Amino acid sequence: MIGLFLSKRKGNAVTDHLDLPQGTLDLLILKAVSLGPLHGWAISERLHDVTRATLQIPQGSLYPALHRLERRGWIRAEWGSSDNNRKAKFYELTSSGKKQLASEAKAWARLTNAVGLVLDMS
Amino acid sequence: MLNRLFSEIRFRLRALFHRGKLEQELDTELSFHLQKETEKHMANGASPDEANRRARAAFGAVQGTKDDARDARGISLLDSVVQDVRYALRGLRKRPAFTLGVVLTLGLGIGANAAMFGIVDRLLFRPPLGLKDPETAHRVFQHRLVEDRRPRIDRNFNFRRYLDLQRNTRSFESFAAFQTRTLALGEGTDTHEAKVTVASASYLQFFEVRPALGRFYGPAEDSVPAGAPVVVLGYDYWKSRYGGRSDVIGRQLRIDRSTFTVIGVAPKGFVGAGDQGVPAAFIPITAYAHAVRGPRYPTVYTWTWMEMLARRKPGITQAAAEQDLTNALLGSWRETIAEQPNWGKLEDLGIRGELGPMHLARGPLAGQDSKVATWVLGVAAIVLLIACANVANLFLSRAFARRREFAMRLALGVTRGRLARQLLTESLVLALIGGAAGLVIAQWGAAALRAAFLDDAASAVIVDPRTLLFTALAVLVTALLTGIVPAVQTGRGNVNLTLKGGANEGPHRSRARPLLLVFQATLSVVLLIGAGLFVRSLSHVRNYRLGYDVAPILYASANPRGYRPTEAEQQTIAESMLETAKRIPGVQYATLTISVPFWSNEGTGIWVPGVDSVNQKWNFLFNTGSPDYFKTMGTRILRGRAFDERDRAGTGLVLVVGERMAQVLWPGQDALGKCVKIGAENEPCAQVIGIAEEMHLRSLTSERDYSYYIPVVQHTAPPDPQVFVRVSGDPERAIEPLRRELQRLMPGPAYVNVVPLSQLVDPSLRSWKFGSTMFVAFGGLALLLAAIGLYSMIAYDVTQRTRELGLRIALGSSVSRVLRLIVSSGLRLVGAGVVLGVLLALWGAKWMEGLMFQQEPRDPLIYGVVAGILLLVAVVAAVVPALRATRIDPNSALRLD
Repeated sequence: MIGLFLSKRKGNAVTDHLDLPQGTLDLLILKAVSLGPLHGWAISERLHDVTRATLQIPQGSLYPALHRLERRGWIRAEWGSSDNNRKAKFYELTSSGKKQLASEAKAWARLTNAVGLVLDMS
Repeated sequence: MLNRLFSEIRFRLRALFHRGKLEQELDTELSFHLQKETEKHMANGASPDEANRRARAAFGAVQGTKDDARDARGISLLDSVVQDVRYALRGLRKRPAFTLGVVLTLGLGIGANAAMFGIVDRLLFRPPLGLKDPETAHRVFQHRLVEDRRPRIDRNFNFRRYLDLQRNTRSFESFAAFQTRTLALGEGTDTHEAKVTVASASYLQFFEVRPALGRFYGPAEDSVPAGAPVVVLGYDYWKSRYGGRSDVIGRQLRIDRSTFTVIGVAPKGFVGAGDQGVPAAFIPITAYAHAVRGPRYPTVYTWTWMEMLARRKPGITQAAAEQDLTNALLGSWRETIAEQPNWGKLEDLGIRGELGPMHLARGPLAGQDSKVATWVLGVAAIVLLIACANVANLFLSRAFARRREFAMRLALGVTRGRLARQLLTESLVLALIGGAAGLVIAQWGAAALRAAFLDDAASAVIVDPRTLLFTALAVLVTALLTGIVPAVQTGRGNVNLTLKGGANEGPHRSRARPLLLVFQATLSVVLLIGAGLFVRSLSHVRNYRLGYDVAPILYASANPRGYRPTEAEQQTIAESMLETAKRIPGVQYATLTISVPFWSNEGTGIWVPGVDSVNQKWNFLFNTGSPDYFKTMGTRILRGRAFDERDRAGTGLVLVVGERMAQVLWPGQDALGKCVKIGAENEPCAQVIGIAEEMHLRSLTSERDYSYYIPVVQHTAPPDPQVFVRVSGDPERAIEPLRRELQRLMPGPAYVNVVPLSQLVDPSLRSWKFGSTMFVAFGGLALLLAAIGLYSMIAYDVTQRTRELGLRIALGSSVSRVLRLIVSSGLRLVGAGVVLGVLLALWGAKWMEGLMFQQEPRDPLIYGVVAGILLLVAVVAAVVPALRATRIDPNSALRLD
C-alpha cells in the first residue's frame, strides 16, 4: 500500500502518457472552467476526456493549482451542491481570468507555431 | 493589478484567521474528489475495494497534496511554523530529562559567551556612554625616547603642555584634561575615600549627556588658574550618600582639602571616559590644581599628572591632526628645554604625538587584561562549540531512534524538506530556551567578571541591547549548528528499508557522530592545555619571590588633607605613628617607609667612585626604613648586616643594596664597604653595609629597576607619615584597631587610611589570576561536556549492538574481549581527538607566550597530563556501558526485535 503511494509520488510515468510541460496546467484549467463552473473532479475528468487520455495529470496536483489560481483572482470558488445533493466546490472564471486565458492562449499558439516552424525546416 | 493585490490580501487574511474552516473545506473537497473517482471505477465494474485503491492511486499522496494546496494558498509558511513550534514544544515536554540536559548545556555555552562578550565589548568596542561623535574623539599619547634611546609612551601631561597644545594647534575643536583620583570626601567621622574625576569643563562637553539634576559646570567655572569650587555628583554616589534627594543642590561637600558646592548630578551610568571606575564626583580641574599646587601650576612643566582628550575638527584627517599635534608638542618641548636645560637636546627626545582610540585597552598602552579577555572570549566560543557538538549528538541519536517515525511520515507524503524544517525548528526552540537560561547565567557570572576586569561592579548592567543582540546571534548559530546535521541525515536513507528493519538495527550508522566526538575531544584538549598553562603560570606568579612578604603586611598612611605640618611636626607625627603601631596587639614589627610596592616609588641619582654614568645606565629606586625595616618586610639580608639602632643621624652614612645592584655596580668584587654618594656628587660617602635580596617594587618582569635602602634617620627629608606593620594572625582584623589608634594622632583634618599590602600588589597579578580561573572553569566545563558526549555515544552504540554482542558472547567470546572491543572503539576516537588537539595547541602556543609568566607554552608535562586525563575519561565513559553490555543474556539479546 505504502510502496504504491511512494512510486506514484516519485512520478514513474506510465508508457504512452505525456507529461505535462511546466506551467501549462494553469492554462488547461482556465480553459476548462471557461465554459461554465466545474468542481475539481469534473475538471480532471474533462481534461482526461478531451485529451483522449494522452496527458498524464496526477489528480492530486490539480488542487494546489486550483488554489493558486484562486489566490491570483483568476478563478472564483463557490460551494454548491452536486448530484445527490453532495457539497462540492465549484470553480468559475473571473473577468481577469478571462483576460489571462486569452493572453496565455495567444502565447501558447505563438509558441507552438514557432516550434512547428522549426520542426518543419527542411 | 490592484484587483489582484486585493484578492491576494483577502485570500491570505482569510487563510490566516479561518485556518480551521479552510482545513475542513480542503478535506471536504478532496474527499469529494476521491468519492467521485471511486464511484466512477465502481460504475466500470470494479469491486468497492479495488475502486477505492484505483482512485487513491490516480490521486497520489493525499497528505502531500494537502501540503501543496496549503502552500498554494500562501499561508502555509506561518501556519507550518506555528505547527512546528507546537510540535517541538510538545515533544520537549514529553522528554524533560533530554530537554533539561540540552537547555543546561546550551545555557552554559551561550551564557559564558554573553558574559564574556559584555566584558570584551566594554573593554574594546563600545564607546563610553554618551560620547559625542566617537569617530573624532581621541585620547592623546606622546612618544619619546628615554635613557638608551628606549621608546616610551606617555599618557600623562602637565597643565602647561595642555595650554600650549590648545594655543598652538589648528586641527582640533577642543582638548580636555582630566584625571581620576582617590580623594577624601566629607568631614569628621563621615570622612571616606572615593574616586573623584578632576576634569576641565571641555571634558564634559565631549559627551552628549544631560545632568540628572541641576547643571554641569562651564568654562567660566574652570578658569585658569583658580576655578570655582563647584561639584557635580556621580549618580550612584548621589543615590547612596544623599538618598537621591533633589535638595542636594547648593549643599557643601568637603573634597580633599577644599569645600565645594553641589551644582548638579550626573546622569545614571555616566562614568566619563570610563576606565577608572565610577566617579563619585566631578570637579573643575583648575579648582583642584589650584588647591593642591597653588597659582603657579599653569606656568610650569614639572607637574605631570593628567590625561588628555582631543576632538578633531570635521574634515581634518587623523594623520593631519597628528602632524599638527606633533608640531605643537615639539614647540612646547622647545620651551621646556629652554627652562630646564637638563632635558638635553630636543632632537634626542624623539617627541611625537599620537591620537589613540578612546579605549585604553585598544590604544598603545593596552594592558594585559584586554588580551586575556579576548582570549577568554575565544575560549567561551570554543565551549559553545563543544556544547553544540554535544547537543547535535543528542539530536542525532534521537533522530536515529525516531527514524521509523520519520520514515512513516515520509511514506505518508510529508516532504523531506518539511521534516528537516521541523527538526530545525526543534533545535531553534531549544536554543532559544538555552539562550534565555544563558542570559540568567551570564547575569550571575557578570558581577564577578566585571569586578575582575572593569572596576565598576556598581554599575553592572549585563543585559544591554548589544549583549542581547549578540546573544540572539549566538542562539541562531547554535540552532543551525545543532540542527543541521540531523536535518541533513533525515534526507538520507531508504524509507522502505527503514520501515522493514528492526528497531535496533539501522541500515546505516551515522558517520557524523564519531566525527563530532573527535571534534569535541580535540577542542577539550586545546582548552585543557590552555587551562594547565595558565594554572602553572599563576602558581609561578604566586610562588614568585617578590623579595618581601605580602600577606601579613598592612600599610597605614596619614593623609594631611591640606593640613601643612612643619617639618618638625611631620617628624613627630611619623615617629608617634611608628611607636603607636608597635603597641597594637598582634603587630610584630613596624617600620616607616617612603616607597610602597606597585604604588609609589622614590628614586634619586647616585654617584659611585670608579663607575661612569651610573644614572644613565640604570634606574635606582630607594627606600628609607626604621631599624626593623627588613624584619617587617620579611626581606632577607644575604650578606653583611641590616641597618639598626646603631645607625643614627650623626653616625656614618650607611646603605643596604639589592643583590642585582651589587652585581651591576661592582661585578666580580665584594660590594660590602664600597662608597656610594646619594643625591649629588659632592655628598659624603655612604658605606655599603649589607646586601639584601632583590625587591620587586614596580613590576614582576622589569629588568631595569635596582633598589637600595637607607636608614630613615639618615635621610635628608623628614619621614613620610606612613608605616608598614607586620601582623601575626588575620591581618584584616588588625586594620580597624590600627586605624583607630593612629587616627588619634592626626592633627586637624588629616585622616589615616589602612589597607592590606595585598590590595596594592594584587592588581598586577589580576590578569594571570583571571586567565587561570576562566581557563580552568571553561576547560572543566569542556571536559565535562566531552565526557557526557562520549558516554552517551558509546552507551548508545552498545545498545545498538546488543544483538551483535549477545551473539559474540553466545559464540564463546569472553567478557573481557567484549569489553576490550567496546573500550578500544571509544579510545580510538578520543585518541584521534587528543592527537589533533595537541597538534592544534602546539601550533597556537606562539600566541600564548606573552600571556605566560615564566611558563613555557609547550610544556610537555601539561600536554601529557591533559592527554592522560582525556584518555582516562574515555575509558571510564566506555567501560560503564560496556559492562552493562556484557551482562546481556545472550538468549534474550538474540530474540530482540
